Amino acid sequence: MRQGLEVTPAGGRTRLWPYAEVRQTQGSYVGEEVRLERGGRMPEILVVEDLRFLQSLHELAPEFSRRFHNPARRGRRLRLTILAAAGVITLSAAIYLWVIPFLAARVAMQVPVAWEEQLGKSIVTYLAPPAKRCADPKLVAAIDTIVGRLTASAPGSPYTFRVYIVDVPVFNAFAAPGGTVVVFRGLLERTDSPEQLAGVLAHELQHVVQRHSTRAIVQHTSSGLLIAALTGDVTGPLAYGLEAARVLGQLRYSRDAEEEADTEGLKMLLAARVDPAGMIAFFKALDKKSDKESDALKYLSTHPSDRDRMAALTALAAKHPLQPVKLLPEEDWSELRNTCGAAGPAR
Amino acid sequence: MGGPPGESAVRQPSFRGEGGTLFGIHIVNVLFTLGTLGVYYFWAKTRTRRFLFSQTEFEGDRFAYHGTGQELFMGMLKALLVFGVPLLVLRVIREDLDVHTGIKIMAGILSSVVGVSFVPVAIVGARRYRLSRTSWRGIRFSFRGRMWPLLKIFISGTLLSLVTFGFYYPYFLVRRQTFLLSQSYFGNERFDFSGNGRDLMEPFVLAVLLTPFTLGFYWFWWAASKRRYFWGHTRFGAASFRSTVTGGALLGLYALNALILLCTLGLAWPWVKVRNIDFAYRYLTLVGPLDLERIQQQAQFPSTMGEGLAGFFDTGFDLA
Repeated sequence: MRQGLEVTPAGGRTRLWPYAEVRQTQGSYVGEEVRLERGGRMPEILVVEDLRFLQSLHELAPEFSRRFHNPARRGRRLRLTILAAAGVITLSAAIYLWVIPFLAARVAMQVPVAWEEQLGKSIVTYLAPPAKRCADPKLVAAIDTIVGRLTASAPGSPYTFRVYIVDVPVFNAFAAPGGTVVVFRGLLERTDSPEQLAGVLAHELQHVVQRHSTRAIVQHTSSGLLIAALTGDVTGPLAYGLEAARVLGQLRYSRDAEEEADTEGLKMLLAARVDPAGMIAFFKALDKKSDKESDALKYLSTHPSDRDRMAALTALAAKHPLQPVKLLPEEDWSELRNTCGAAGPAR
Repeated sequence: MGGPPGESAVRQPSFRGEGGTLFGIHIVNVLFTLGTLGVYYFWAKTRTRRFLFSQTEFEGDRFAYHGTGQELFMGMLKALLVFGVPLLVLRVIREDLDVHTGIKIMAGILSSVVGVSFVPVAIVGARRYRLSRTSWRGIRFSFRGRMWPLLKIFISGTLLSLVTFGFYYPYFLVRRQTFLLSQSYFGNERFDFSGNGRDLMEPFVLAVLLTPFTLGFYWFWWAASKRRYFWGHTRFGAASFRSTVTGGALLGLYALNALILLCTLGLAWPWVKVRNIDFAYRYLTLVGPLDLERIQQQAQFPSTMGEGLAGFFDTGFDLA
């Protein structure tokens, strides 16, 4: 005799519902009636109001108890919820701290260089228009020499490295995806030696080589997805709060990128036998300028504080003592660095 | 009017679930979604929906949801294939390849066409999937509208609204609602919507005039008017729906929701969701005779592509 439920509708004949064919679709939650279904797409349905029915089922047919909800175990739910919440917190932290950076770095490496160059082209045209680029032949040759020595240590690179000096009195430099580095006159004129400029260039070139901009795009998308997964679909004022969280999260990634550019940039200098003291001295000068920066601001900044950077670089350089070969020994750097403004922009 | 007293019965849906239970479901969903780097999302969505539907009670019986996570997942794949791939290909043509400018312009136009047709396809697909997976007392709902008529309504709605500086908008809303409702079925019995754009014109113009003066708050009163009008003109057989929601009530709901979410950094989201559903049912009634004996099963099983798309814009369990 097969084990099952005998169902007798009023005025109808008794039929047997074998336990193995019965599904419970409702009745797992407080207040819900027990709903049993049997059949395919259009099943027969049995609704039982009394929850004790489930207990009886478990007693009478223990081999099939896995198919049916056990109300005695509802107390476990609270504990499971708390465990799940703890799991969520741990998992989110792990994904933010490790999984996203790891995946972003891998994915960024797969992006074709041609796409990056395309992206970089528009940025460069906007921020470093050809009309404003310094074309003094001595300066251009000097820059080419420096870049040549730096990149000689990374011969297999798919990038075509280009460095433009832009005649704008701004103290800044940046790397566009695809291989172009832009240095503004304001920064160039503050460097005391070609080694110092080499330090800045090495840092920026590493942004290109490590594909930090592309990585940032992937990280931004992933962190958006992470936040969406955590909070469900959220609109309205809360969405702005979440956006702020996302931006703060992204700042941490950009600080990591800057640290990497610093470290790899220094290694690039060492490999090219350029004296790293220049890079370190440059950051020292930067640090003196922004003396009053507090530690709190550090977290809001896209760059690690200059003091931290200097300390990290000094430590790294100390580990690799070097017999440096001087850059541009025949040139007078203090004269050369001013030729951008003096000679004027390209014709 | 006429008939035994039972025939003017007023029936109301009610929600039996609690925010705490939904939170428990949600947190486990999040855990698995994170652990599978997002793949579990479709099964999570199904679990939540199943809970919400089976806690909705009407006339002593609960609704049931029959969808599966796998169907949603397949729907998403189909959506990627039908919309994602062409859009990507067109994009590559437009931006990365070196072809004649004329071809690039054509690609741009095609992209816009594909993009615009996405919305009605998503709406119709989602509605068709969701209704077909919903049942009450064993009888399935269904939606039999097709995508092309809705696309036409959207296109003409957009063009006419532009030409009339927006005055056409209430007419568009009513045409859309008519399409969505009068193609919805419960078993073999159709829903019916008998509205007219003209009736909404006055509240709409009032809203356009007053909303800037009231810093946007008047919008709640317009939303309530629209909801009352839509439900009030929806019929099922001889019975008709009625909504008594007011602008003030809506405003109160949203305001308290925002406060709750802000104070709990969004974690109280499941309680807010339950509040919203409770609110919707509280003001909704079905008045009149309901001859359920006549209704027969007429289930329809369509493809699930539209659901995958609309999954990205949550249109919710909403017959309006």
